[in-house]
Amino acid sequence: MEGLTGELEDRSLRPLTGEFWAAVNQGILVSPVCGNCHRSFFVPQLACPKCQSTDWTYEPSSGRGRVYSHTTVHRPPTPAFDAPYVLADVDVEEGWHLLTWIVGCEPDQVAIDMPVSVRFITGPDGQQLPAFAPHEAAQ
Amino acid sequence: MSGAHPLHRVAIVGVAATEMARQLDTTSAEISMRAALAALDDAGLMVADVDGVAARWSGPGGTVFQPGSADWAEVFGQPLRWVCDTYPQGVPGALDAAAAVAAGLCETALVFGGQAGVMGGSAVADYTRPDNEFIACWGSLTAAQFALVAQVYRHRFAPDPEQVAAIAAAIRNAGSANPAAVMAGRGPYTAADVLASPMVAEPFRLLDLCLATEGAAAMVITTAERARDLPQPPVAILGGGAEWHRQQYVNPPRYDEVWGLGADAAQRAFELAELNPLDVDVFELYDINTYEVVRQFEMLGLCAEGEGADYLAEAGIGIDGRHPLNTDGGLLSYSHIGWGGPTLKIVEAVRQLRGTAGPGQVPNAEFALVTGAGSGAQYHNIMILGRG
Repeated sequence: MEGLTGELEDRSLRPLTGEFWAAVNQGILVSPVCGNCHRSFFVPQLACPKCQSTDWTYEPSSGRGRVYSHTTVHRPPTPAFDAPYVLADVDVEEGWHLLTWIVGCEPDQVAIDMPVSVRFITGPDGQQLPAFAPHEAAQ
Repeated sequence: MSGAHPLHRVAIVGVAATEMARQLDTTSAEISMRAALAALDDAGLMVADVDGVAARWSGPGGTVFQPGSADWAEVFGQPLRWVCDTYPQGVPGALDAAAAVAAGLCETALVFGGQAGVMGGSAVADYTRPDNEFIACWGSLTAAQFALVAQVYRHRFAPDPEQVAAIAAAIRNAGSANPAAVMAGRGPYTAADVLASPMVAEPFRLLDLCLATEGAAAMVITTAERARDLPQPPVAILGGGAEWHRQQYVNPPRYDEVWGLGADAAQRAFELAELNPLDVDVFELYDINTYEVVRQFEMLGLCAEGEGADYLAEAGIGIDGRHPLNTDGGLLSYSHIGWGGPTLKIVEAVRQLRGTAGPGQVPNAEFALVTGAGSGAQYHNIMILGRG
């Protein structure tokens, strides 16, 4: 949680994951795509989890997906977060998934299998984050 | 038991747990060492008998390589033959130590850990706030990671909320009767009390979730041969196993991958023990939340997927029930102490098999099941203990 207090570090300089955050800063959602087996995966790993190739690059995502699961958090882990907020595991079209927030609707409107699209937001630490919103609302 | 399997050549001969509280006025290192010496005393052994150490605490203090560990040979004032500080707690800690003793890497291993002087403040315990860069930025916490799994279960099977809440109430009432529990004397609780407690991360309410408290736990493992000369009735590791699905708290856990986590380890453990889950007299399951209790009975094959809450309501989980469960009050009500919480399960199981468990004693308990971790953590482990 160091990133939530004190001076902001430049996330785009992080090894392995910097390019992901650099893209997010520009409003682009990317994920690692294997150059050998062409599968998308997340989180970024040293090698593709399917074929162990280290020949992968960050490629743009459609930013569309569906809610695999969600939970509304009423008691945040630190005072930096304003509850309630909806944590979700979103399945992205290219076959990868990530932990994110569902925004743009009331928490009780979020449902499993709901179509969602990426919507970039400013997180509690002032940095850009790739949240998702109901697909209709995301336009 | 033929005694042929290496795990059957060792025994747990000493256990200890310190006092437990929301906050203790000491350090993690001090309370951990106190538990270690108490476990040795329980075993009728001395520091000079120890040649293997597996230990860790939540900090502060420690070595450069391992902030929650120490120069154990220096601390104990003698050279050691075996040291482990990667996961020295609970079932993996016991199995690692047992394997080391069985392989002759050391003869007597001391496994211990805990925390003190670290809780409090406006944030939840640091070990419940995953610091991965794709998790922390969203304000996730371990309860929420487990909630993501439970929500899919609810979506598919719609378990009766009262039946699920009744599990938390029963475990908390066991803790209420345990004078050593952090929540001793609190309650009694009903399912309605659980359902009326504040929501933390849906579907978990405050009383569905484990404590984050302070204290330490320890155990001593040595050869079955040496155990025969020691004062306590030895406790045998009849079977055990672990499953590491993913590194915990990096990618969100997915119901379809983790709801059955532990089934393979359980099958291996029961085969080794030549037992089946219905033979278990007392269950000391990792009750990080109530849905995990439901999950583990389904994972063990005692009921079908989706039927756990119904099954437990019918079977009974009190001392008089078919499946006496978390007899010390568990992580929900007895204590959860960071590096050491999983060991508390073994401490209680050993006391059950010795017949010294106190108000939660299951009469004539012969076989105990201990588990650790869970679906939201994406790893699980299991151990079957019996009288040695």
